[in-house]
Order: sequence, then structure tokens, then C-alpha cells
Amino acid sequence: MNKIKMFFSSLLKKDATKTVITSLWCALIGLILGFIILLFINAKEAAYGMTSVLGNYLIFSNPQDRLNYFGQTLAKTAPLIAMSLSILVSYKAGLFNLGASGQYSIAVIVISFLGIGLNWPWWIVMILAMISASAFAMISGALKAYFNVNEVISGIMLNWIALYLTNGILSNSTNVWDSAHSETYTISNSSNAYIPSIGLDKVFAGNSIVGLGMVLILIVVAVIFILFKKTTIGYELKATGLNGDAADYAGINKIKNIFIATGISGALAGLAAVLSLQNGFTAWRLGSTPPDIGFQGISSAFLGGLHPIGVIFSSYFIVHITEGGSMITDLGFSPEVASIMTSVIIYLSGFVVFVKEVMHKHEIKNELNKLTREKEEEV
Amino acid sequence: MIVVLSTFSFLLAYISILTISAFGGMFSEKSGTLALSLEGSMTFGAFAAGVAMHLLPATLPDALSALIVILIALISAGLFSLLLALACVTFKANQTLVGTALNILSTAIAVVLIKHITRTETLPVGNSRLNFTRFYEIFNVDMFGIQGVKFNWLILIVLVLVPIVYLLIYKTQYGLRLSACGENPSSADSLGINVNRTRYTGIVLSGLFAGLGGLLLITMNAEWEFANGANGFGYLALAVLIFGQWKPLYIFLGAFIFSIFKTLSVVYPSIDILANLGISSYFYLALPYVVCLVVLIFTSKKNAGPKTLGEPYDKGKIS
Repeated sequence: MNKIKMFFSSLLKKDATKTVITSLWCALIGLILGFIILLFINAKEAAYGMTSVLGNYLIFSNPQDRLNYFGQTLAKTAPLIAMSLSILVSYKAGLFNLGASGQYSIAVIVISFLGIGLNWPWWIVMILAMISASAFAMISGALKAYFNVNEVISGIMLNWIALYLTNGILSNSTNVWDSAHSETYTISNSSNAYIPSIGLDKVFAGNSIVGLGMVLILIVVAVIFILFKKTTIGYELKATGLNGDAADYAGINKIKNIFIATGISGALAGLAAVLSLQNGFTAWRLGSTPPDIGFQGISSAFLGGLHPIGVIFSSYFIVHITEGGSMITDLGFSPEVASIMTSVIIYLSGFVVFVKEVMHKHEIKNELNKLTREKEEEV
Repeated sequence: MIVVLSTFSFLLAYISILTISAFGGMFSEKSGTLALSLEGSMTFGAFAAGVAMHLLPATLPDALSALIVILIALISAGLFSLLLALACVTFKANQTLVGTALNILSTAIAVVLIKHITRTETLPVGNSRLNFTRFYEIFNVDMFGIQGVKFNWLILIVLVLVPIVYLLIYKTQYGLRLSACGENPSSADSLGINVNRTRYTGIVLSGLFAGLGGLLLITMNAEWEFANGANGFGYLALAVLIFGQWKPLYIFLGAFIFSIFKTLSVVYPSIDILANLGISSYFYLALPYVVCLVVLIFTSKKNAGPKTLGEPYDKGKIS
């Protein structure tokens, strides 16, 4: 009995556990606030609305439907994981990649031209899309490295430039643009550019958007995990992020690291575009603001405690409630309720460091109290 | 003639929106807190004002309604910015993260509630667009009495505020304290200035200014699509702030330069020489951002920003 207690108390002291606990609290408060908004809009249906948001595919009674929509939720999680990793890599290196939306857009141009227009094999399209997004991200890197331009501002400016570039180029290309719907054509599952389903569609009731992409993203998570845990490059990136000047003194090339970090980060944002377009599920719509996914990536990266494995769960959670949110329109709620919940959650996750500090102080105090009590007993 | 005058009217409006919002950002950043949520505060002020314009009865006198709408825009954006202050000053949160969260939050709240307000019997979920033609007429008067050229009189408020802000920053005790809290909070603290309280006031002021900017932005039109937030003006204002090196008069100048390009993207079809070039409209839309980026390249080398921008004030830390 004592052993179990000891195990739990040592578990509680671990940093990772604290992150998980505080993240769960953030999520809970976000959900409660969302529920209050639903109550305010339509008190009668609020409970059912909340069940739909939280249940997502679980509200279907038919098991085939459930599997199908579960597959869809999983397939939509993959790009968000890629996006979160993009934010995570740059953040660890001391940079904030607010330009991920722009990098995503640039990858969309490449995917549309090579995938939809020219019907090239999916993996060539994927690689080229990632390379171009990476190159676009390095513009921010170069501006930071050589001209001291704040990467947050340049990222935001590049988001808008990329948005108009993508809208301008795609809407004027007749072979990729479906002008009736103001969006690009989707990639059909007979196309070469479609990411193969490798039999996973059979597991998910014939839903072919689940496929090799799921395997790819897990591999990428593992690679990023190993990058920071085991490699020199990862160590140098982290060192630059923790204390740029100290890293500089230690002989770590700061400029090289800025390029590496923005390059990897951009490639991952490009991968997010690959995983959301090359399974035929989404198309590029003519929008007037940069795509949301770049900002959602920030949410899930922080909710996941900036840990490669953590972001798998946080991305799934965010997609789960966003998908659930899209099901409540018949009840008179707008799907953006899910957006309110996620943004409240990110807002609160800003408090995590502070809360962890408080928890830590509390622990030290307890420890000290215990020691003094033991001393007194001895006397 | 009308083309020239309406170009001029757009230019004035854009200068005012960017100036007032960038001033807002300046109050926040001078005291040491990143103003990334400028876009969110503008959206929130615009949203609250939009809802007020939608709900206020037409029987109310025009002047009173206008006053109520202006106050609502200011107060709501000011309250919204308290969320930034709470997280970044009191709880020492990451300022970029919180700023991003608030930008998403304000658009999401605006869309959800406006969809709720605009719904009808046949349309269970409304749309995120609000129409306020009556207030468009109230806020906009014919420029020089010429029909077809509109002038938004909120611009006058902004123009009056420019010298006031200049004096506030450089000639008053409050302005100097604000800068001190951003440049060297420990020294400010040692002289008896309450750093966190000063930062709170800076952030709330930034909200008030952004709220006015948001109101001016949406009342340039008779309706507004809230799903687009403040259409990126908050981010442009942030760039204007950096370009203006956190100085009121330079900010005004920066706003002028960006507004030229922003205006160009609106009026180019009616200028024959530009329309005949056959360049895509997206080129003109992207132009202000490209110019902004180029300008940043030349102005960022010398880091003129407040020294402790982005860092929460920690009493125990030796700087």
C-alpha cells in the first residue's frame, strides 16, 4: 500500500505528469466555458449539443458510420499533428513560427499544380511540396538571421502574401480551379497523387481517406522525438532556444540553426498540406484570411506540452471537438463554438508555466514542513 | 474629380485606422507587453459595436446612438484587452501564445454570437455578416458636400488624438513611466513605480484605441463579414508600429505610407492607367504586405524596441 502511494507521489513530482494534469485542467475549463455559451444560445438543446461536440462520431448508432467518421477524424488529425510539430520545432529553437499558414499555402500551390494538374505520383508531389514550403519558411529565417527582422512579424506578413499569391495563381489556372465552387478540384482516389490507402480503408468501413498518411505522420513524430532526444542537431537547436547567447559562446552556429529550424518547420507545415489535400478530403477554398490550421497548430503544440508525443493526443482532441462542432449546426449552434473552446484552452495553457511553478513551490514547502516535523519529533 | 476625392477619402480612413491601432499597440509595447492581440481587440470592439448597431432602436436620436456605439466599441475592446493583461502581466504567460489565442477567440466569439443574432425561422444558424446601413449614414457624411464621396467623421477624432498622444508619451509623467516600465522595469520599480499596474494601464489603453480603430474600420462600409476578423488590419498596425520605431510621429508617417498601398488595392480599377496594366487584383492586395516586409528589412537592423518587450516583470530577477 505504501509502495503504491510512494509511486504516485513520485509520479506527481515528475514534470511530465504536471504538464499532463495542467493540460487536462485547461481542456476541462475550455469545455465548461463552451457549454456555458451553448446554454446561453439555446438552453434546451445545450446538453445534447455538448454531447455531440464531445461524442463526435460516437453519437452515431450504426457501427459502420461510427468507424467511418472515426477514420475521418483520424485522417484530419494527421495534418494537425504535422502542423503542431512545425510549431514545436521552431519553438524549441527559440523561434515562433506564426508563418505556418503561409508555408501551408505555398505547399498547396505545388500540390495543386503537380497533383491535380499534372497527376504526378503522390510521393514526388509530397517531397516537392515540402521542399517549397521549407524554402518559403527560410525567407523568414533569412530575414531573422541577416536583417534581425522579428520572425513573428515577417511570418504574419508572409502569411498574407502567400494567401494572395495562392488565390491569385490557383484561381487563374483553369485545369486546377473549379470556378463553380470557388475552390480547387479535389484529388480523387484514382489519381496518382492520392496517398495510397494500403488496406486501412477496409478497417474503417471503406473510408479511403485513412491511409499511408497515418503511418507517415507517426514516423515523422518518431523522427522529431529522436531528433531532440538523441542527435547533436537537436541538442544545438534546443541550446539556441534556451539561451541564444550562451549557445553562441559555446560555438554553436546561430545562423545555421535558424535556417535548420525554419527549414524543418516549413517542411512540416508543407506536410500538413500534403496530408490534408492528397487524401482528396479538402480543397483550397478562395478565402480572405490565411488558413486556420497554422493557428490551430499553435493550440495543439502548446496543449500537447510541446512534446512530440503529447501533440498526437492534443491534435486528436482538437480535431475531435472541431469535428463534433460541425455536427451541431442542425441544433442552431454555429460550429465555431469549438473554436471558442480551443482558443480558451490555448489561452489557459499560457498559465501552465505559472501553475507548475506554484505547484513546485507548494511541494518544496511541504517537504520543508515534513523535515521540520521530523526534527521536532526527534527532539 | 470624384475618383480623386474618393481615393483621398479612402487614404484618410486607412491612415486613421492604422494610426489609431498602432498607437494602441504602442501603449502596450512601450510598457513591455507584446501587442499581437491588436487584431483581436479590433475585432472584438468592432463586434460589440456591430451588435449594438444591429440592436439599437431606430427611434433613438442619431447623435445619442453614435455616442453609445463609440462607447461600446471602446469599453468592450478595453475589457477584452484585460484578458491579455491578466495572462501576460499577472500570470507571466508567453505573450505570443496568448496573443494568438486571443485573436482566434475574438473572431470565434464574434462569429458564434452574430450567427445567433442573425438567425431566423427558416435559417436556424444565421450568417456572420451584419448590416448597419443606418449607422453607415450616421458615421459618414458627404465630403465637401459632394454626393458620392463619403467621409467618416471618426477620422477627425483620430486626427485630434495624434498630438494628444504625442504629448502624453513625451511630456507627461505617465508617458515617461510607461516607457520606463518597458525599458528598465527594475529601475522603475526601485523608484516606486508599480510596474505591473502601469503595464495594465498600457494594455487597457491599447484596447481602447484598437476598439476605436475597429469601429472606424467597419463603419467605412455598410456591412461587415465578421468571419474575417479585422481583415488583417491589426497585423498591419503592428508592422506600422515597428516601422514607426514605437514613436508617435513616425507611426503616423508609417501609417501614411502603408495606406497609400492599401488604398491602391481598393481604387486601382477606377484609375485608368493601372486598370489597363491588366495586373491581377491579388497583386495589389499583397502589395502592402510586401512593402511592409521590405521596409522591415531596412528598419530592423537597429533594434529600437522597448528593451524588455515580451518579458514579464520578475521582481527577483537581476537584469
